Amino acid sequence: MAYMASDLTASRKVQAAVVCDANEAVADIAYKLSEVIAIYPITPASVMGEHADSWSADGRVNLWGTVPDVVEMQSEGGAAGAVHGALQTGALTTTFTASQGLLLMLPNLFKIAGELTSFCMHVAARTVATHALSIFGDHSDVMAARSTGMALIASGSAQEAQDLAAIAHATTLKARIPILHFFDGFRTSHEITKIEPISDGVLHQLIDRDAIAAHRARALDSDRPVVRGTSQNPDAYFQSREAVEPYYTAFPALLVQCMEQFARLTGRRYQPFDYVGHAEARHVVVLMGSGTGCAHETVDHLVTQHGEKVGLIKVRLFRPFSAEHLLSVLPASTEVITILDRTKEPGSSGEPLFQEVGSALIEAVQRGLRAKLPKLFGGRYGLASKEFNPAMVKAVFDNMKSALPKSRFTVGINDDLSDSSLAPDADFDIEPDSVTRAIFFGLGSDGTVSANKSSIKIIGERTPLFVQGHFEYDSRKAGATTISYLRFGPEPIRSTYRIRKAQFIAIHAAEFLDRRDVLSAALPNATVLLNTALKPDEVWDSLTREVQQQLRELNCRLYVINASEVSEKAGLGRRINTVMQVCFFSLANVLPHEEAMQHIRNSIEETWGRRGPEVIRRNFAAIDAAMAALTEIRLPEEVSSNRQRVAAVPADAPDFAKKVTRLLLEGHGDALPVSAFPPDGTWPSGTSQLEKRALALTIPIWNADICVQCNFCSMICPHSAIQTKVFDPAQLANAPKSFRSVKEGFEPAFEGLQYSVQVAPEDCTGCGLCIEVCPSKDRLNPSRKALVSEPLVAHRETEREAFAFFKTLKSTPLDKLPIDKRTAALREPLFEFSGACAGCGETPYLRLLTQLFGDHLIIANATGCSSIYGGNLPTTPYTKNAEGRGPAWSNSLFEDNAEFGFGMRLGLDTHARRARALLMAMADKLPPALVDGLLRAGSGDADLAIKRTLIAELRAILEADRSAEAMELLQVAHALAERSVWIVGGDGWAYDIGYGGLDHVLASNKNINVLVLDTEVYSNTGGQQSKATPLGAAAKFATAGKATRKKDLGLLAMSYGHVYVAEVAMQAKSSQTVEAFLEAERYNGPSLIIAHSPCIAHGYDLVHSPTHQRRAIESGMWPLYRFNPGRVHKGESPLILDSGEPSIDVAAFMETEARFKMVQLRSPERYSMLVDAAREAIRQRRSLYEQLAKIHLDAGVKHV
Amino acid sequence: MCDLTTSWLGLTLKNPLVLAASPLSKDPDAVAIAVESGASAVIMHSLFEEQLVHDQMSAHHFFDTRTDLDAESSSVLPAASLFSVDVEPYLAEIERLRKRVDVPIIASLNGTTPGGWVRYAEQLESAGVAAIELNLYDIATSANESGAQVEQRQLEVVHSVTQKVKIPVNVKLSPFYSSLLAFVRGLAAAGAKGVTVFNRYYQPDISLDTLDVERKIVLSTSADLTLRLHTLALLSPTTQLSLSCSGGVHSGLDAAKAVLGGAHTIQLASVLLAHGPKHVKTILDDLRKWLSDKGYNSSAEARGVLNYLSAPDPHAWERLNYAQLLQSWNPSARLRSNT
Repeated sequence: MAYMASDLTASRKVQAAVVCDANEAVADIAYKLSEVIAIYPITPASVMGEHADSWSADGRVNLWGTVPDVVEMQSEGGAAGAVHGALQTGALTTTFTASQGLLLMLPNLFKIAGELTSFCMHVAARTVATHALSIFGDHSDVMAARSTGMALIASGSAQEAQDLAAIAHATTLKARIPILHFFDGFRTSHEITKIEPISDGVLHQLIDRDAIAAHRARALDSDRPVVRGTSQNPDAYFQSREAVEPYYTAFPALLVQCMEQFARLTGRRYQPFDYVGHAEARHVVVLMGSGTGCAHETVDHLVTQHGEKVGLIKVRLFRPFSAEHLLSVLPASTEVITILDRTKEPGSSGEPLFQEVGSALIEAVQRGLRAKLPKLFGGRYGLASKEFNPAMVKAVFDNMKSALPKSRFTVGINDDLSDSSLAPDADFDIEPDSVTRAIFFGLGSDGTVSANKSSIKIIGERTPLFVQGHFEYDSRKAGATTISYLRFGPEPIRSTYRIRKAQFIAIHAAEFLDRRDVLSAALPNATVLLNTALKPDEVWDSLTREVQQQLRELNCRLYVINASEVSEKAGLGRRINTVMQVCFFSLANVLPHEEAMQHIRNSIEETWGRRGPEVIRRNFAAIDAAMAALTEIRLPEEVSSNRQRVAAVPADAPDFAKKVTRLLLEGHGDALPVSAFPPDGTWPSGTSQLEKRALALTIPIWNADICVQCNFCSMICPHSAIQTKVFDPAQLANAPKSFRSVKEGFEPAFEGLQYSVQVAPEDCTGCGLCIEVCPSKDRLNPSRKALVSEPLVAHRETEREAFAFFKTLKSTPLDKLPIDKRTAALREPLFEFSGACAGCGETPYLRLLTQLFGDHLIIANATGCSSIYGGNLPTTPYTKNAEGRGPAWSNSLFEDNAEFGFGMRLGLDTHARRARALLMAMADKLPPALVDGLLRAGSGDADLAIKRTLIAELRAILEADRSAEAMELLQVAHALAERSVWIVGGDGWAYDIGYGGLDHVLASNKNINVLVLDTEVYSNTGGQQSKATPLGAAAKFATAGKATRKKDLGLLAMSYGHVYVAEVAMQAKSSQTVEAFLEAERYNGPSLIIAHSPCIAHGYDLVHSPTHQRRAIESGMWPLYRFNPGRVHKGESPLILDSGEPSIDVAAFMETEARFKMVQLRSPERYSMLVDAAREAIRQRRSLYEQLAKIHLDAGVKHV
Repeated sequence: MCDLTTSWLGLTLKNPLVLAASPLSKDPDAVAIAVESGASAVIMHSLFEEQLVHDQMSAHHFFDTRTDLDAESSSVLPAASLFSVDVEPYLAEIERLRKRVDVPIIASLNGTTPGGWVRYAEQLESAGVAAIELNLYDIATSANESGAQVEQRQLEVVHSVTQKVKIPVNVKLSPFYSSLLAFVRGLAAAGAKGVTVFNRYYQPDISLDTLDVERKIVLSTSADLTLRLHTLALLSPTTQLSLSCSGGVHSGLDAAKAVLGGAHTIQLASVLLAHGPKHVKTILDDLRKWLSDKGYNSSAEARGVLNYLSAPDPHAWERLNYAQLLQSWNPSARLRSNT
């Protein structure tokens, strides 16, 4: 067989292996070879920066014995600027980024490349946001950088990513062309495999010291001053731009030199293009990135098993594109080439790789370097980590061989709209039996992924087996589903795709059996492991008919364990990682049992040994208990269940939800055709109510007899899963028995009405906050509150029925009562059941926002946690009221949110002005009362109700009128009723990346409202410090504890004099929050509300967040205030302090949160210094605010 | 000049005033001031085994288990391998204090499991403390364990520790023993070198507002001293163990009473929390002045002169005294004084 493989990684057995993902492997190399690392967190590249930060904090040195300076900047734009500057001074510099982050770096990348600067950066390639954001992997970001002048080098696995990272750092020093090295987000960045590390000795040999010296010699220095970055005119620019060309020409050869040297040093050989396949291939596929693994495996199979003349070219060097090197590996026999791009360039004549390969070949034929131009086809695959498997690769080859091949196609989706897609053979499966495959369905919080990572490390590092771990998550914060795919085998694993059929299926949460078809991936005779709270003899009867059938037909062996119970008894809470890991090793037969258990023990000691003996003792206890508790269930002969899996959305759901949302929820989204999707990213709102996730183990149950009707519960609930309502008792006629209500007894205006507190049992996350804040106690049994925690299973059916009835109840109109914390909580929430963390401190503010202004609310939402739980598919939480009105919500980007919302205000104002102008122009045709009413200002509930009636009246008149101006007024008439624009985002946006825009928008004096959900840290990307991080707190990039004060965003805004500013803390003082929201809305100008938002990154159990928030206020860490410029005109000080003098020492607050405590544990001396500094900062801030609160400003000239 | 030197647990201290186990000893600056002001030894704040366990499991929960939660965040706090939450921070504190002050440092250990007592005691010894004070803080909440069983368990704990360490072991007691004298004899047999009377119990209150139990710390007052004086007076003639008085000494005169009752050392906490660590000097000066004024050449001379054996009227320490008091008490006069 004439088989060629130019990359030799396949044929070598790994010697001294480590098990890691590409992020870690690449960060390791970049760290060793850098002096300055400037970064900004962005998924999926954040981890590289975090590794670097953590190593730097530990004092780890680089290859030359110095600790690199790792700095987090305010944005990727900032990081690129810092990188550019550091490079200008001759420092070896790197950065890590992805997606929009890379796009923000582009201006500097043009500069860095234009100045021929030796620099290598690493990108975990990720989709650029278009119609939607996606955190997953494709090449749309790196392809957007291809015109910068950076060289682009692609890796397809962790091993390649490590190796090519080293080669890239070495090459850029010699070539002076900066290099953007990329690998696929998640598939490569997060996939754990066994790799052969590169020793420092190899790096020393690879990196040319003279080239470093030359790089440093080019630095700016006042001892040898030069000017760089001039401004050039038409006479000079073009020529000097072309002066770089020889460097690009020389680059491929220099890269090859480094690659060859690397091969000599390590035995692993790479080329700008690597060929794999038949020596006389007729059909060749060209691609880059992780897809090459799958293509390699498929080509191997087709050549060796079927004798097909097919081949694969793996592109390592995309830019500068070297036709010469491409031609050198492309078999002369090639008749047809298909170029696969992992990006889409709408409207192009071909995606970037297609264009490069095509141009190169055309030119080669033109120049006589190749006799004949092969047929060229181009296809798109794998956008946003869409599955790309061997069946799809085969479909690409089949397409080339077919009589009527598609010349521009998609593969991996069903494009029924443009008929672009290829149809892979669903049964084509080439995975060898020698590979053990296991799939684990788990929850984000239960430790499944951590356990599997540990198992892979054990197997990979302690056995000769090759390993692969790939993890899929949904983007919810609470109750996220994780699916782990683990492979083990005697040969290197290139299967960069999901496991389709597994010998081992682990279901770490029993509800998955009811939610999705988890057993469809089971091979015959598969082992199935189920974690269930049921006793072994109850399990069979609890299964659905489908599951029983599958288990019988596949002849599975079913094992069960009550892992949560075992774990809790061992004192490990609900984290079941150790228990399930023991079960896996007990059943999977990867290692002899005792040996495996010993490895687990060793791994626990290695991982957590420093944490203390109790952690080890309890985990060891869990190991023994797990082995004892694991039970096999003998499958009965007969399928006996009459219960069937129910659809993920209810039968009365809207059609779209039944056709699209349901499939997404059930894990079949890949099967949805293109035509099922809105083409512009617009989705119906209010779909989270369709998805009943039933995450809580316990839910609050209302004891109506002792309730004091304070509504604290509904006010604090992060998921709107407990709601309160006052209503006419006449509506109780059809109430089910399960529904409870009592006479409203606290508000004279509600005389004769009923009051109810109702939990949404299947939407509750069980965070316990409502019970924590409930002040009503039974005087005979004070442990019994008006809300008590009860098991979900005992109340699910009755409370579901009661909640359904509750939703039908029409609330008593509240518009005659002033809005305060009690009445606000009775208003209808139009934000419910989000995917936020259990106990989230942000979401109650958003719910309140919708309760106050929801029916005329437009939200511009910065990227971050609030955009993920606010707008992440499959279901979204913003919803609408019975009239069909509700918040209209959009997320543009992270950095531009203030400007985005500002633009919305401009647009709305324009339409309002146009509508008023048209109204006045048509005034003589319209009833004067109608015109007057519509021109009157006012945005309260009552004003809006009147205006809506008038607009309806106006519409009727206009539709009858049919004149041109009437037709135009019809289009903009809605704008005659006020719209409330709220700009929402986190502190990362407001304090850091979006601050410039926020500042500008606040300066504008437009009527916009800004709500900053301040968690004092980048929550969404995993706890990196922001400028909102308080002094003394540890966060990523401030591991030793932040030494500078929290930026006083409110004070900066106050300095304008025309901005309404409030700092609020809803859990501790909701009355002030409600007041601030109302004042901000009423204030005819920019308003800024900074909202204290407890977050899991603070390091305490969020059920205690009201206490923590109170302590933050009492210590002076979080002062409450309202600054209302309107008060100046009344001769009053604009600043009102809503919290008093600090009444507890700041240390008493700090010592209760892990973010501060870890600073103390690391260095008590530093902690003590930081506490003193925090105390002083509080004293000074308080003093300043007190003085401001006392100032009297001359009211000055009154505005007329 | 009155010689205040005292021998306690085999250590020779320049005077009887010792910094008690309290939050004060968490602050090295405060400790240094107290020592400069005359404190002759420092007992570290207590190492609570249950607190260590709690801290370890909390750190495990917040750092080690909040990982891989979702696709975007690998963890929510910085890398957690950077610190230990076992006994190391406490040992580091000892080390820092030893460098800072030149008086004996005594560790205070409050355990819950037999293994914990021994393991931690050994580590504390290795860290160079002069002695260990075992705090037998134990709330009996089980109806199935008799007083004798509780005492036996405690004696076993003390024995297991004294077997493992060479440095002197002092035991801090609660007042609630049926026969304290017999128990102290048992402690001596178990290898203890001294006892401290008494531990001040954490005594939660009841909140009438919240219908809940209210956690609070109440500082001692001089009124707490008499219970200690009584016990010191009874123990002093019957045991060879060193005696330390803890709780209720708020002045030099209070200290003098403790010495007269039989204390080798007097532990100060509440008074320093209220008045600052410099207050040691005031107490010391007053103690020295009182002893000098009364003509005592040394504190050793004064020690125990009013104990059960030496007091002019030993019966005053007995039950008989109680009966006399009752008879002499005039309720109506007391009521009148309140109106």
